[in-house]
Amino acid sequence: MSSLIEGSEQLERELSPDRMTAPAAGSLILHGVLFGSLLLYGVIAGFLHHNIWGNPGEGGAIQVSLVSNAIPLPNDQPVNKNVLTTENPSKAPAEPTPKAKQAVDETAIPLSGKQVKPQEKTQPKVQQHQPQPIQDNRAHFGEQSGSVIPRSTLSQSTSAPGPVSISNGDFGSRFGWYVEVIKRKVDQNWLRPQVDSRTPKGATAQIYFRVNRQGVPANFKINSSSGSPTLDRSCLIATQRVDTFGPLPAGSNDQWLDVTYDCTY
Amino acid sequence: MKAYSRHLPVSLLATILFAAAQLQAQDWVHTGTNLGNDRIRIAAADFKPAGGDPQTPTLKTVFDSTLYTDLGNSGILDVVSKSMSPQATPGSPQEINLSQWSAAPANASMVAFGALSSANGRLTVSGWLFDTRNTSNPQVLGKQYNEVSDQEMARTIAHRFADEIILRLGGGINGIAETKIYFVSSRSGSKEIWAMDYDGQNQHPITHLGTVSLSPRISPDNSRLAFSSLGREGWSIRMYSLDLNRMVAFPAGTAGGSNFSPAWSADGAKLAFSSARSGDPEIWVADANGGNLRRVTSFRGPDLAPTWNPKTNAQIAWVSGRTGLPQIYTMDQDGGNIQRMTDGGYAISPSWAPNGQLITFSWNRKYGPGDPGGQDIYVMDIASLRWLQITHESGSNDYPSWAPDGRHIVFERTIGGHAQIWTMLADGTQQHQLTQSGNNLMPNWSWK
Repeated sequence: MSSLIEGSEQLERELSPDRMTAPAAGSLILHGVLFGSLLLYGVIAGFLHHNIWGNPGEGGAIQVSLVSNAIPLPNDQPVNKNVLTTENPSKAPAEPTPKAKQAVDETAIPLSGKQVKPQEKTQPKVQQHQPQPIQDNRAHFGEQSGSVIPRSTLSQSTSAPGPVSISNGDFGSRFGWYVEVIKRKVDQNWLRPQVDSRTPKGATAQIYFRVNRQGVPANFKINSSSGSPTLDRSCLIATQRVDTFGPLPAGSNDQWLDVTYDCTY
Repeated sequence: MKAYSRHLPVSLLATILFAAAQLQAQDWVHTGTNLGNDRIRIAAADFKPAGGDPQTPTLKTVFDSTLYTDLGNSGILDVVSKSMSPQATPGSPQEINLSQWSAAPANASMVAFGALSSANGRLTVSGWLFDTRNTSNPQVLGKQYNEVSDQEMARTIAHRFADEIILRLGGGINGIAETKIYFVSSRSGSKEIWAMDYDGQNQHPITHLGTVSLSPRISPDNSRLAFSSLGREGWSIRMYSLDLNRMVAFPAGTAGGSNFSPAWSADGAKLAFSSARSGDPEIWVADANGGNLRRVTSFRGPDLAPTWNPKTNAQIAWVSGRTGLPQIYTMDQDGGNIQRMTDGGYAISPSWAPNGQLITFSWNRKYGPGDPGGQDIYVMDIASLRWLQITHESGSNDYPSWAPDGRHIVFERTIGGHAQIWTMLADGTQQHQLTQSGNNLMPNWSWK
């Protein structure tokens, strides 16, 4: 009997409405709201956080406006001598080459004994040279006359019509066509078959020379070696073969023009 | 921020270093070979006619077409065809819209434009050359001409303007639009010396000797014309003054024996030629006034067709038959340091390139019975003796002569017994026939 009563009580308990439903639903909603607000906060905060960067209105970031008519851009010009804007660093990264040589020397000094080792080192040297031209840290100014942001807006805005006089360092942007002439003429005189075929592709020799007012090149020297003597030499000869590039443009007041020329195999 | 402050001293140092370098250097550009080496694409806008003179449209047509052809003939420019050019005719820098020319289909990186007007018998032309990609400072060239108003002068001004453009864009090498070609023509009955513009226009006779005149050679200053002519004393070297428009004396060229193929030295002071006065045809050198005659070669077998190295002015290339068939040799002007250039076949008519590095000549590499080869034009690098055949299977080609820009060659091509004058680029492309009537032989390109 008692078992019957227990069974009916249990049944009654099960059939009666659950008292936990309301609190559970409340808890769920509360959690939902909590997560939702967290998420919302995260998103909003993330956006706000992002907006601090580079937003001209807010935050402490530096605001950059490229060309201002009022303020001449004085200190920029010496940095990248040719005044084409570029994100890549200028030719300063030529430093790695001497570093590599120093490393070789340092290891050579503690080794007291033998002369065989330097011969072995010649091979890694070439390999070290190889990635150098592939790195895109080459200075790009002066190469593409077309994609130049004209810095000479300054002089246009300030001066009356007439011969534009601009300070040094922007030859490549003003006389892109003359740079093209130099590029083309040396290339025509560069005889690639003279380069040793074992030279790795992409090896670059850089030649320096100075072009005078009449367009005659002189003062040739190898600025940075490619690691291949034949490539260095053929590039040097290519520049020396040129009699003249034609007189410097009439609008240029320069007495001479310094040129660095890359011969890439 | 940390990284920024760490890099700050380095960048400051770099700035100072560059600034220091800047004090020394004036201007600095960086370029290289791996950046493409296409021909410069240039558009020649039709010039804007100004003023109401009835002559203007005719002159403008002559001018426009001459400028267009000159630029196309230069060998260094890729000229935008008229159908792809914008219709605009900008007459001044204020009127030009550069983006119009740099955009497709023209895609020009340079544009030549200007205005032309004729008034009171004077022709005024203002011409500009603009770099279409450099909007801030586009002017490469600006020129103004004021000459007598006629068609010939319109053509001449177009030539001059084209030459200015080619001088700038071609890296200091003068254009050839104002040069002349001298040649032998039989169209008047006897073989006389004729002249024409480099593009075949304006053909006119120079001599009227009524005999046979061959191998004209113009002096470097364009003042005198040396050629060999058949007279009472046989074949002699004779001289015609273009300044005086009459024959002038050249005593060294008239001694007994046959005298052929004169050649000017680059300074115009000496003349080399072939003479058989000592029995065998040998190379002789005389001063331009006919004095100081001396013999340079002395070998068995004929020595003919000398040509000076225009760069050094100290070497002569010539044809020698000492080993049987004629071959090309070079030597110093005193006769020393002889070197054989060709290794066989039948090689004749050398002409030395203005840069001194190349020689062009006519060569039949497989000469002899049962071995029929063509007589073709070749170019040889003197230092390496590597050669390149530049005409192929079209007639018999002979008498090549370099243009002063070193990019063009004029030569004689005989097809079916008719010899005509042709020009081409030194790589054999852009071949154009310049003469049509009669037989026209032995062209010689003027020095400037």
